[in-house]
Order: sequence, then structure tokens, then C-alpha cells
Amino acid sequence: MAELSLKNVVKRFGSYEIIRNASLDVADGEFVVFVGPSGCGKSTLLRMIAGLEHITDGEIHIGDTLVNDVEPADRGIAMVFQSYALYPHMTVEQNLAFGLRMTGNPKADTDRRVQRVADILQIKELMQRRPKQLSGGQRQRVAIGRAIVREPRVFLFDEPLSNLDAELRVQMRVEISRLHKELGTTMIYVTHDQTEAMTLADKIVVLRGGNIEQIGAPLDLYDNPANQFVAGFVGSPKMNFMSAEVTATDSDNVTLTLLNQGNVRLSLPLKNPPPAIGDAVTLGVRPEHFAKAGEGVADLTIAVDVAEHLGNTSYIYANVAGGEQLIIEREESRNEIKTDTLTVAIKSSHALLFDKTGNRLR
Amino acid sequence: MKSQSRSTLVRSLALHAVLIPLAIIWLFPLWMMLVFATMPDYGIFSPQIELLPSTHFLENLSNLQADTDFIRALMISVSVAIVYTILSVLLTSMAGWALARYQFVGKSLVIAIILGTITLPYFVVVIPQFIMVAREFKMANTWIALIVPPLFNSLGVLFMRQAFSMMPAELFDAARVEGVKEWQIFLRIALPLARPTMAALAIILFLASWNNYLWPLLINSRPGMLTAPVALGTLIGLTKVSWGGIMAGAVMLTAPILVIFILLQRHFIAGIAAGAIK
Amino acid sequence: MQLRNRAAYGFLAPYLMIFATFWIWPIISSFLMSFQNTRVNPWVFSLGANWGRLFNDPAFYNALKNTMIILIVQVPVMITLATVMAVLLNSPLLKARGLFRFAFFAPVVVGEVAYAAVFRLMFNLDFGIINKLLNSVGIPSISWFAEAPAAMALLIIAVTWRWAGYNAIIILAGLQSIPGDVYEAATLDRVSKARQFIYITLPLLKPIILFCVILSIIGSMQLFTEPMLITNRGGPGGGTETLGLFLYRQGFTSLNFGYASAIAYTMAALAIVISLLNLWVGRDQK
Repeated sequence: MAELSLKNVVKRFGSYEIIRNASLDVADGEFVVFVGPSGCGKSTLLRMIAGLEHITDGEIHIGDTLVNDVEPADRGIAMVFQSYALYPHMTVEQNLAFGLRMTGNPKADTDRRVQRVADILQIKELMQRRPKQLSGGQRQRVAIGRAIVREPRVFLFDEPLSNLDAELRVQMRVEISRLHKELGTTMIYVTHDQTEAMTLADKIVVLRGGNIEQIGAPLDLYDNPANQFVAGFVGSPKMNFMSAEVTATDSDNVTLTLLNQGNVRLSLPLKNPPPAIGDAVTLGVRPEHFAKAGEGVADLTIAVDVAEHLGNTSYIYANVAGGEQLIIEREESRNEIKTDTLTVAIKSSHALLFDKTGNRLR
Repeated sequence: MKSQSRSTLVRSLALHAVLIPLAIIWLFPLWMMLVFATMPDYGIFSPQIELLPSTHFLENLSNLQADTDFIRALMISVSVAIVYTILSVLLTSMAGWALARYQFVGKSLVIAIILGTITLPYFVVVIPQFIMVAREFKMANTWIALIVPPLFNSLGVLFMRQAFSMMPAELFDAARVEGVKEWQIFLRIALPLARPTMAALAIILFLASWNNYLWPLLINSRPGMLTAPVALGTLIGLTKVSWGGIMAGAVMLTAPILVIFILLQRHFIAGIAAGAIK
Repeated sequence: MQLRNRAAYGFLAPYLMIFATFWIWPIISSFLMSFQNTRVNPWVFSLGANWGRLFNDPAFYNALKNTMIILIVQVPVMITLATVMAVLLNSPLLKARGLFRFAFFAPVVVGEVAYAAVFRLMFNLDFGIINKLLNSVGIPSISWFAEAPAAMALLIIAVTWRWAGYNAIIILAGLQSIPGDVYEAATLDRVSKARQFIYITLPLLKPIILFCVILSIIGSMQLFTEPMLITNRGGPGGGTETLGLFLYRQGFTSLNFGYASAIAYTMAALAIVISLLNLWVGRDQK
């Protein structure tokens, strides 16, 4: 078990920077999730920690060793791959033991470790099968087993659940969570699925275009995103963004006009230095942060496009002028939302405000 | 429905009416090889049309053995083809692996040279090869001369490189993370997974070596070191030889390959198709 | 990382040594030799000894002419036949598919010497089964080996017999790689089978057929064993002498290596032109 730290890590291909100046501290036993859209560099960063990609600049420490030039096998890590990467021509048992056998680990110890893994993951009856004869979930379990056998200080997961169907994905998510509790080992997990990130992580690292956008606990990111990108990426359904213009400011408040909502005006308390009058800004409101008409800072009258009733809650989709779509969550009533138009209010306490470049204003 | 099944029947009949005669014409030379090989010489040169095999195959074989040491030639051909195939598959697999799975200085140059020269006629290299092996190394009429120079063939490199690059990269990364050495990854993971491709390649190489005529003709001309095709070739065009014997030799050259072909038709065809399409 | 990539040199080295010694160096060496008079000792540079002689040698033009005739007649005939074979073999109506496939593909694996011997006997003037069969339907015997046009025809028949199946395999693989739903869609649009072949199959097969054409041209250009063994060293009287045979005669009968190298590079130049054509056609497709 070990802590891990990245200091100003850079990955460059020619003049193209895949990772820009990434710094991160991971505590011993922590479960960290790298999340971001495809191409954001999250897998590259993971592969750099594994030693499968060369580091252009910066330092990676595992425990108290600088591992920049240490071979993958000597870093004390184990990795689970997206495609499972099980050796197709070997049985499950041979898959589990292969690395240890090849590196000359004593046979008795190898057998003991393989047995232990078979117990932990309950795959005893699969030991003589080949990967082809396993279901997706079983393959995933064996791939994880192959990582556990190495008794690593840090586990690395590269989108391990993305090849599974939805139901199995939830099930394996729970298992990985339980495994983390049982083993207590540091784990780093890459995914593009923010739900996985929210449910698994102690700490989430949001990446975009090679930059770390924000690091924080799941609910911190949800409640307090650093910028519009993180606000939009974390949470499902997504946060609503509405174009607005600043019409008045004073020391504590800002007054906006929502451009595509029929010039609705609203005032919000402000934390940061106020924007100038006339600035284009974006108002962000999560679907669940709408109230009944009259109970918030501004009332919006929207044309209902589609209403989805999920039983415990309902989502209302409304298309408004300018191509903006609003998603509104309503828990109150199943019957209420039969109308074509609906008036809802924005709860000011949860409304966020971003400037043109996506930085938080509030 | 009825008219449709009738038109299907007509189409089927037309199809077979074209294919059956074509197939008979195509099989005819092979059939005649067998017929000639089992006929005594006076039968081959009789004025009658003889289309059925006779019973003189062994007699023809012993006539052939009297004309040239064909048994020894066959033995040389088999040994050369086997050793050549093993060596060539091994060498080209290793090279294909390097070119498929590593980044290194000179890689694109090597690939460019291989691709750029693969369609050059063999005649361009055969003269210097001959001068080098026969005059400079003084190795004419040796096993090495038969086996080593033809190993230059780069088809296998491209073939194996293709197979290795289609394997998922994560498989090899997984092994690297586990501390498996590069040569162990090659031997224990890459090669076993490339077995079907290696089989197809081996068949093609074995066939090429077995049928190779020009190089063995040039380099091993001493009696006793002739390969089977060369031994047989020297008899063609001579006057006082047994034609039944030559045809028996042709059958001995062809039959084993045809048997392998029938047994491994799938690999054979996969190899030829893949080698051509790339 | 760096260390890992260094392993590549280890994997590559053994093959590369052979490749450099028996392929790359000979390519350079024969190029140099083509500019040397190799009939004097030591060899000396001379443009006229080989290249000058080549362009004034009637035997060279004879060999070039023969090779070109074979190319121009044999390649189209064979590729058409191979396409027909492939299309018919691909028909779902076909019975005993394996047997037909065997019939067409078997010649590919038969050695050159073995088939040369059979063809010599089959086409023999007096005793050959072909002439006997011709006679039985009232056609007089053809002296396949004594008359140049007949001998050329014989070579073309032989090479076509041997290689049509090989090309059919390749074209068949191409046919099978055309997804079936393309045809289903066309059938739903009421496009007839014949039109499907002309407007769907042939255009999709074009790159593969072109590839086969180029492969066959390069192969036929190097024709050697057939005129050597079937028509008895390019007989009658050089009537079937190909470039390959001409080169063999100059290089290994007369031991004039420089001249043979010049011939080899003439073939190479033709091959390079054809390869460039290949590249150009391939680029056009993408």
C-alpha cells in the first residue's frame, strides 16, 4: 500500500501536449477516479503511472520512490484493462499465475496467492476454463483477480466496466467498491462515465483536453464545480445552462436578463467581483433546483416538449428559443404535468453563474 | 413461388453446365499425370487414346531411379523444405513482431525498403547471389547454399507483422505490467496467438521451397546434391530416358503436396488470399 | 520504455542480416555489374559492353517481343477466366463446392517441373493425347513444339492452367468480403441479378482484379521454367525465348554476368513501372 503523487507531469508528442502539467496527490488507500470525455488524456495519465507510457516532463512518485524510469513491473502496481486483456490461450488459473511464473516467484507462494484470489472473487469453479468460455462479468472478475495476485501497492483500472451491459456494470461497480473496502489498497480508476466516478470515488479528478479541471470529493464537485465544464460533466441529467446578459450590478447582487426565456429578469447574490453591465454570462441550474411558480427568484413559463415519468420522479424536457433545452425534475405529482405549458421558478440558492469563458462567477 | 423455383433450377443447371466441363479440363492434366505414371513407355507412345491408369507405377519408379538418384533427391528436397520452412517462419515472425509492436529508429526505413523492393524480379538478385555463394563463399553443392539464401523472402515479415498488429495491445501491456520479459511475451503470448497465421505461412513457404527450381538448379548441380525438381528437370529433353519414369517422379513430387493441400485446404486458401490482399 | 524498444533490434537482427546479404546487396551489386564488362579480368566499367549491346541485340528484342505477346494475351484471358471461376464458385446454388474448388486450385500447388513434364507429353506431336483428341474430332495434328505460334499458344495455355485458380482464390476472397446486405438491398429495389453483378459486384471487385492483373503481369514477365522445360529452352529456334530464359542463357550458360544484370534491370524497370501503376491505382481507390 502506498500513496502516490504526480508533480507537474507533462506528456508531449512532438509539439502536441496530451497531458499539461498535471499535479495530484493520492493518499494511501484512497480510491481516485479520473473522469473526462474521450480524448481528455485520462487513459494516458494512467498509463504513465503504470510505466507503459514515457513521461516527457515532471515526476511520479509511488510510496517514496521516484518511478519515472522504473519498469512497469517494478513499480508495485497492477492494472486492469478495458478489454480485460486475458491471455486467450491460457486457462483462468494459468492467466492468474502467468506473471508470477514468468518472474520466477516460488511455486508454493504462487499457488497460495492464486488460491486466495479464487476465494476472494469466488471463481474456484472457473479455474480450468479458458477466457472464451467465460461470460463478460466472469472475464472481468478474472482480470481483477490477475491484478490482485500481484499484491500490488496501487491498483490501476482503465475503463474496466465499459464493455459490460448496464445491469452487470452496476453489479461489478458494487463489487469493486467492496473489494476496495476489503483490500484497503490505493486504487486509481479511469472512466468516462460520471455515474461510476460519483459512486466509486473518494476523490474525483476531472480532465479535459489534457488539463486537470478540478480535483475533489464527488459531492463537492456536484455542489461546487470549479467551472462550467465540470458543472456540465458531473450530474445526470445534466445541469441546465441558460444564456443571459448582465443588466445591473451592485456590491452583493447581480441582475440578469435571460435571453431565450422571454427576457426574464432575476437577481442573484454574488461572491466574486461582479461582472460588467452588458456582459454575456451563463446561468446554470440543475434539474432538481427548480421550484413551484412563485417560490424562487424568477418564474419561467416553458412549453413542455416531452415528459418522462419514472415513478418516483418525472423529467420534463422543454425546448426553448435559441436551441437551449431545459430539463426539469419534478417530484411533486404525476398528474400535474399533463399541461402543454408550465411555470417553474429558479431556486436562487443553487443557481450558478459562469462568465463567457466558463469560469465561475458565483 | 413455382416459377421462382423453376428459374432457380434453370440457373442451377446452367451453372453446373459451365462448371463441370471446366473442372474436367482443369483436372485433366493431373489425371493424365497419373495415367502416364502408371503406364509402360510403350503405352505412352501408343497410337491409341489411353485415358485409364495402368499398373506399372513401381516399374516406372525403378526406371526413374536408374536414370537419376531420385530417392536421394526426394530426401534432400524434403529436408531442405522442412528446415527452410522452420527457419523462415521463425526469422520472419521475429522481424514481423519487431516491426508490428515496437517504436525504434530505422523502423519506417526497414518497412519502406521491404515494401519498395518486394515486387522486384528475382532475376535481379539471382546473379549476385550465385556469384557470392558459388565463387566467394565457395559453397555450391552444400545444404547451406540450398537453405540460407532463399530465407531473404520478405513475404512472411509482412504477413506476420499484419497478424501481430491486429492483436490487442492491452494483452502485451498486461504482461509487461506483470514483469514478463519481452522475449517471453513474444514466445509465450504472441506466437501461440499467431498460430493460424504461422500455419498458413508455413504451408506457403514449404510449397515454395519444395517446388523451387531455378536456385537449386544453379547452385547445386553436382549429382548427389540435386533436389527432386532439378533431378527430374535434367531428364526432361534427354532422349534415352523413361518417360513413364519421369511421370512417376512427377507424381512423387505432386502427390504429397496435393495430400497436404486437401488436408489443409482452409489454411492454404487463407494463406494465399491473405498474402495477396494484405 | 526505451529499453523495451531496444528489444526490437534483437528480434529484427537475424532476419535483417539475411535480408541485407541475399536481397539488398544483390540488388545493388547487379545494378553496378550492369555497367561493368564482366568478360575481362578484372571487371572494368563500360557502358557499351552491356547496355549498349542490349539495345542492339536482336535476341533481346526477340525475347522482349515474346514476353510481351505472352503478357498481352495470357493475362487478360486468365483474369477473365479466374473472375468467372470465382463468381461461379461463389454461387449459393453450387453443389459439391469442395470438389470444384479442388479442381481449380490444385494446379497452383503442382510444381513447375512436374506440370512441364505432363504438358510436354500431352502436347506431343505424334503420341500426345491432345492431338489424338483433336484428330478424333477431325482436326489435324498441331505440331506444338515445331512451330513458334503453336508453341507460344502452348505456353499461354500452360501458364493459364496453372495460375487461373490462384487468381480465382484471391477474387473469391474479395467476393466474399462484399457484405450480403448490399445485395439484399438491391434485390428489394428490384435490381436484377445481372445488373447487380455489373453495378455492384464488378465495381467493388475492381481493386482486387487490378491487383491480380499486376501480380500476373509481374509473374508472367519473369516466365522461365515453362519455356525452359516445356518448349525446350525457348524453342523452336528462340520462338518462345522469354526475357527470363534469355537472361539465364546469358548469365549462366555464357557466364556473362554484366550482360545478364542489364537484362535483369530491364525487367526490374518494367516491374517498377508496373508497381508504380499499382500504387497510383491504389491511391485512386482511396
